[in-house]
Amino acid sequence: MSFLEMENVSVGFGLEGFRTEVLRDASLSVEENEFIAVIGFSGSGKSTLVSMLTGLLRPDKGVIKLKGKEITRPGPHLGIVFQNYSLLPWLSVYGNIELAAKKVFPEYSKAQRKEHIERYIEMVSLTPARDKKPGELSGGMRQRVSLARTLCMQPEVLIMDEPLSALDALTRANLQDELVRIWEEDKRTVVMITNDVDEAVLLADRIVPLTMGPAATLAESFPVTLPRPRDRTSLNTNPEFKKLRNEIIHFMTAMNKEAKMLRVDRGLSMPDVKPFDFTAA
Amino acid sequence: MKFKILKALDVAGLQVFDPVVRLICGENPPEQFRKILLFIGIPIITFLIFIGIWTYLAPRHTTKAGEVPTPGVVKNAADGIWVFHVRENQKAEDFLLEGPAREKALAGVQARIAELTPLASAARTKLGELETASKSQIDQQVGPLQEKYNALRKQTRADEKAREEALIAQADSLPIGDAKARDAFLAKVSEHEVKSGTEKQALKDFKSTIDAAYADKFPEMESVRIQYNAYEEELQYLSKRLDYLTEGNQSVKISEGQSELVDLQSAFLTAEGGKATLKAAEKVLKQEESIARIAESSYSRPWTFPRQIVRSVACVFVGFFIGSAIAIPLGVLCGISRVFMAALTPLIALFKPVSPIVWLPIVFIIVGGFISDPETAFVHPAFLSSAITVALCSLWPTLVNTALGVASVEKDHINVARVLRLGFFSRLFKIVLPSALPLIFAGLRISLGVGWMVLIAAELLCSSEGIGKFVWDMFNNGSSQTFAQMFVVVFVVGVIGLLLDRIMIVLQRSVSFDGAPTAI
Repeated sequence: MSFLEMENVSVGFGLEGFRTEVLRDASLSVEENEFIAVIGFSGSGKSTLVSMLTGLLRPDKGVIKLKGKEITRPGPHLGIVFQNYSLLPWLSVYGNIELAAKKVFPEYSKAQRKEHIERYIEMVSLTPARDKKPGELSGGMRQRVSLARTLCMQPEVLIMDEPLSALDALTRANLQDELVRIWEEDKRTVVMITNDVDEAVLLADRIVPLTMGPAATLAESFPVTLPRPRDRTSLNTNPEFKKLRNEIIHFMTAMNKEAKMLRVDRGLSMPDVKPFDFTAA
Repeated sequence: MKFKILKALDVAGLQVFDPVVRLICGENPPEQFRKILLFIGIPIITFLIFIGIWTYLAPRHTTKAGEVPTPGVVKNAADGIWVFHVRENQKAEDFLLEGPAREKALAGVQARIAELTPLASAARTKLGELETASKSQIDQQVGPLQEKYNALRKQTRADEKAREEALIAQADSLPIGDAKARDAFLAKVSEHEVKSGTEKQALKDFKSTIDAAYADKFPEMESVRIQYNAYEEELQYLSKRLDYLTEGNQSVKISEGQSELVDLQSAFLTAEGGKATLKAAEKVLKQEESIARIAESSYSRPWTFPRQIVRSVACVFVGFFIGSAIAIPLGVLCGISRVFMAALTPLIALFKPVSPIVWLPIVFIIVGGFISDPETAFVHPAFLSSAITVALCSLWPTLVNTALGVASVEKDHINVARVLRLGFFSRLFKIVLPSALPLIFAGLRISLGVGWMVLIAAELLCSSEGIGKFVWDMFNNGSSQTFAQMFVVVFVVGVIGLLLDRIMIVLQRSVSFDGAPTAI
């Protein structure tokens, strides 16, 4: 049995009769200390998947188990990094992390807690911004604070919901390297949701595509066998990388076409009307 | 330094003065001048135009309490209010003075009286002269007019009588039952009445020209009269002070009482016979008691306007705190629980539009039921009722805003709380309240503004000492001076309301984390 297990999970929203099914029979199994990237188009139910993995949302059908135990509610052992950071704007960087640390490790003494928090601030290289408010930080810095807050809870699984998608390309590359470094330093099971194929290939051990919604499901995964550490500069010329990337892109675009073909045309059928040419008569 | 000042101005909502600070620092002067002209110059010009219109319009309407006061008159009234306050404070101070300080003050008062007395009597003589002069002038002017008027009145009366007699004579010979002749007679009588009416009107008009001549004002005389009144007023005040520094003074009274006590004690020591000794003992005790009473007494200061302002501000804050103490917890509950919100919505909707004028009598009676003796009570019931009325009327904006703020906490922040498995109270105090704080303070700011407006009406109705009561007293007084003092109140109330609002803006800015600009 795997570390994190998702079996035939279905979920939908809305009342009966107007129901939209978001996920149908999605299954996933993640090994301990594995880095999984879930990749999908926008609107395909990625955030819903995250909500269920972290227990914020209960599936309608199927079960999600962590170490064989069903996940029924959120908790600090299911660390989540939100897409839009979710930092409390009235607390400083330190305060935001402290809120989590205090709750998760109530047994720590003051000095211990301080050391713990500062270790994680250091890990995401934010020591100079320790006492700044989120409003004074850039997007990348805010995402680092959010990451540090989640990491300081020392979760069993780290679930990241498009953590880098709101950032500009340079900051993004920078943070990707940081993520790898942190993961190497502090090994744990990671599920990352993303819409960037390159990012997925660069970071993950395995890539799981999410099919088009509605009623999306998780398709067969692509293992990434590239050796670590992966260097982004040389990666572009690496034939294996190129091959894998093309495969995934082909799979995704084909899926997109298929989905478009499958879509029921609910539009009104227009009568075939042509303008009458009065001058010709 | 410059940026610190600018930042402080920004937080205080005084961005208007931003260009002044920048100009002093020499930053782009032409631009700053333009801004100063726009944001400071134009408001000043508008205000001056307002003063101008007021000055022009006010004297053109005459009321029972004299002409509507002009800005100058209002300014004088404000000065008068202040002088009264200062003098009352001085008297209270004089009452408690003792030893060399009292003698020094006494010397000062006596010197001033000596200085003023000749001035006042000179002014009185001058005023007397001017009065006789003006009287003779008026008499000269009015004399012939009056004679003319008398003649005219005589003439009119005689005419009327003659016409009446003629009509009676005619009526005597009127045949009985002749409708036509009687109709003709009726027309004649009517003609006679109309004529009398016009004659009377003409008389009245003539009389009013005479009255106008009497009412003629002599500017010189008026200014002397004002001067004389001022002297007399000050003299009266000084004689009061003199009293409080001598016979009316606390220490003087006590030393007098004590010397009397010494006499009584010696009388008691030498008293003979049972009855007389008892009497003497009683006298000693009575005297001791009266000395103790004097030592405890203080000058009973009247409620001058500045003291009433202080009391009003205190009252509005008491009411505001009562209101907030109810509104914030209720608002939080409404925001958290849909059940609570559903339960309270009808009550809120029902009571929110009720006017303070309705609340006040109800509150006044209810509070009166709890406090039986107003004089010995810890708080005066009128004060408490005004404060509660303020609370009742001002709690709604805070309640609604708090509920809104709590209900609209970002879902992500709630998710954070869920992930951290925060308990109810830490969720409330660490996530919900901090996040709702800016909206709560926006509500408090509106509440304080509403409370201040309500307070004046409440004080006026239940005659609780304060600005409202001052207005009511001035209204009932009905002289032209008190009319002007009511105008002073308008400005005082406005300025205090403005200051309260500024304080709330600063508080609101200090708790808002998103740096959202607050409306000016």
